[in-house]
Amino acid sequence: MSAFFQQLINGLSIGSVYALMAVGYSLVYSIMNFSNFAHGGVIMIGAYIGFFSMTAFKLPFTAAFCFAAFGAGILAVAIERIAYSPLRKRNAPFLYFIISAMGVSIFLENIIIASPIGPTFRTYPRVFSAAPFNIGGVNIGRLDVTMFLISAISLAVLVFIIEKTRTGMGIRASAYSLRASALMGVNTDRIILIVFGMGGFLAGIAGILFGMKYTVYPQIGNITIKSFIAAVFGGLGSLPGAVIGSVLLGIIETFTSGYLSSQFRDLIAFVLLIFILVVRPKGLMGKITEDKA
Amino acid sequence: MKKRVVLLALATLLTLSLTLAGCSKPADTPAESKEPEVVKVGWIGSLTGDQAVWGTCELNTVKMLFEDINKNGGLLGKQIEVVGYDTRGDATEAVNAVKRLTSQDKVVAVIGPNASGQAISISAVLEEMKVPDIATVATNPKVTVVDGKTKPFNFRVCFIDPYQGAVAAGYAYDVLGFKKAAILYDVADDYSQGLTEFFEKYFVEKGGEIVAKEAFKFGDVDFRPQLSKIKNAGPEVIFMPYFFKEVALSANQARELGINAVLMGGDGWPSEVLLEMAKDAIEGSYFVNHLDFDDPDVQEFKAAYKAKYNLPVELNGYLAYDAVQLLVDAIKRANSFDPVAIRDALETAQVKGITGQINISKDTHNPEGKDAAIIKIVDGQYVFQQKYSAK
Repeated sequence: MSAFFQQLINGLSIGSVYALMAVGYSLVYSIMNFSNFAHGGVIMIGAYIGFFSMTAFKLPFTAAFCFAAFGAGILAVAIERIAYSPLRKRNAPFLYFIISAMGVSIFLENIIIASPIGPTFRTYPRVFSAAPFNIGGVNIGRLDVTMFLISAISLAVLVFIIEKTRTGMGIRASAYSLRASALMGVNTDRIILIVFGMGGFLAGIAGILFGMKYTVYPQIGNITIKSFIAAVFGGLGSLPGAVIGSVLLGIIETFTSGYLSSQFRDLIAFVLLIFILVVRPKGLMGKITEDKA
Repeated sequence: MKKRVVLLALATLLTLSLTLAGCSKPADTPAESKEPEVVKVGWIGSLTGDQAVWGTCELNTVKMLFEDINKNGGLLGKQIEVVGYDTRGDATEAVNAVKRLTSQDKVVAVIGPNASGQAISISAVLEEMKVPDIATVATNPKVTVVDGKTKPFNFRVCFIDPYQGAVAAGYAYDVLGFKKAAILYDVADDYSQGLTEFFEKYFVEKGGEIVAKEAFKFGDVDFRPQLSKIKNAGPEVIFMPYFFKEVALSANQARELGINAVLMGGDGWPSEVLLEMAKDAIEGSYFVNHLDFDDPDVQEFKAAYKAKYNLPVELNGYLAYDAVQLLVDAIKRANSFDPVAIRDALETAQVKGITGQINISKDTHNPEGKDAAIIKIVDGQYVFQQKYSAK
């Protein structure tokens, strides 16, 4: 029985990493209607900002955390201004946005490799003790608990902003229809910047937490493929959907490895994904499905 | 106004390029009529992507060695130019790179790549263009021999996977006395599969038991589901035949789950980064390596590299060093830069490399009877245990 709970904890912990990444995707998707593949690059830069704040500048974890989150937020806004905004002004097709996003993502990865930082793997200094909590034969890592709490708090704050503030109302309106909101006097340009800023902020948090849990290297962004799939699974554009999709994907993966065979992990997880999309194309909790890329 | 500036700039550029082209023309013609003064040697490997750390080290080493040779009068009176191309860790890219090296750059030989997947795929081009290749750390048997047939233009300076798997299994069973082993391996990787296959084969043949065999896929960062399963099987030793990033992550996670078994691995382990990432988790672990890093033979190179690049030498650097030694020896004995003559000379090469005596066998194009080094991690240091050969 303890093996079952251990695998459940493993799954939750993997799922919560996916969730933090998937929410950023979903947020941008809900407004812009395109998959922001540059998100992985922003996560990676966030991880590096956190890493260098703690090693080169010897800052405490909390300061590094803020730098990573705000730094990544600023980067995401800059990416929007440089790579997407000109396309938006020209009403370019969605495909162009996706290609531009991929370009940004490849650019970010290679700029790190080419810079003095290089392709080496980096390790965060230990902030949390490696000794796990042991509850009834189940080991729960301290970092996992912290990650889970930080993810939950950031998501709660995000939901609060979207549901309870004036800006949040603008975001919801823009998600419904960008054009109609603009006609109604919502400053959609500002809304888009805020959404990218918040997406980047979450990416920065995801980056520093991911870096602490695993390691920092220029290809971190690749892991976002999984969280992108989790976001589709949960329903693109829906924040609760992104969270639920991520946690479910994490648990499905873990249980496949744990009880069937680790070779079949991705196979089963993705067959299930295709099945759900065929039966329920908008994902578990998705909103609109037409003309999205 | 803006347009005019652009036009002006363009005009200047055109004039400049014309002058330059005009200048370079006469210099080129005599060189083409005679034999070229500069001979090119190719290198391929990963300069970007996950394996960039090793590729960069190899290319640095190869460049450094030929710079030294050039300073000392060159080889057979010629200066050597190293042309390196990035394979991005991809087999198709490797084929393209070799095509470019052989047809466009006209290299006399190719050094690299470091990974078997790429080394296996380039054979057809090498045979077509009749240019020899010396792989560095490509340990899969199929790099030089497929279905009992030796590939005419592929050579290597490292020992092969079956040997490495057998050494690990032999050492674990005979020397360390372990009877129950678990294996965690990368299902998407030839190298990892090769080592796993032969570790399993030899360990079971000796009388040991494989209690769990779990897989992951390249790019994974979380191994706890597999490790939780391994933990329940209760092995004494866990064989981890993959590269140091995954080793560091999986070792840390194993300890986090309360697994105390001894960890063992192959030549994908040694790296400064591994110690930095998982110092405590891999304490007391063993791995099979190509050489002992503290061997007096390698110190001179290690220091020279550090002085030039201010980076530690990765394992690949040492084998790239020996690949260059082997090539230089073959060129000298062939007394020619003809790629086929170099190939013929390589078949009978006997060179004392820094990673050991390299006697290339005509039948396998592998260095035969090269001892493996068993390294243990003690107090965060790589401590050489003994030379060990499987038979």
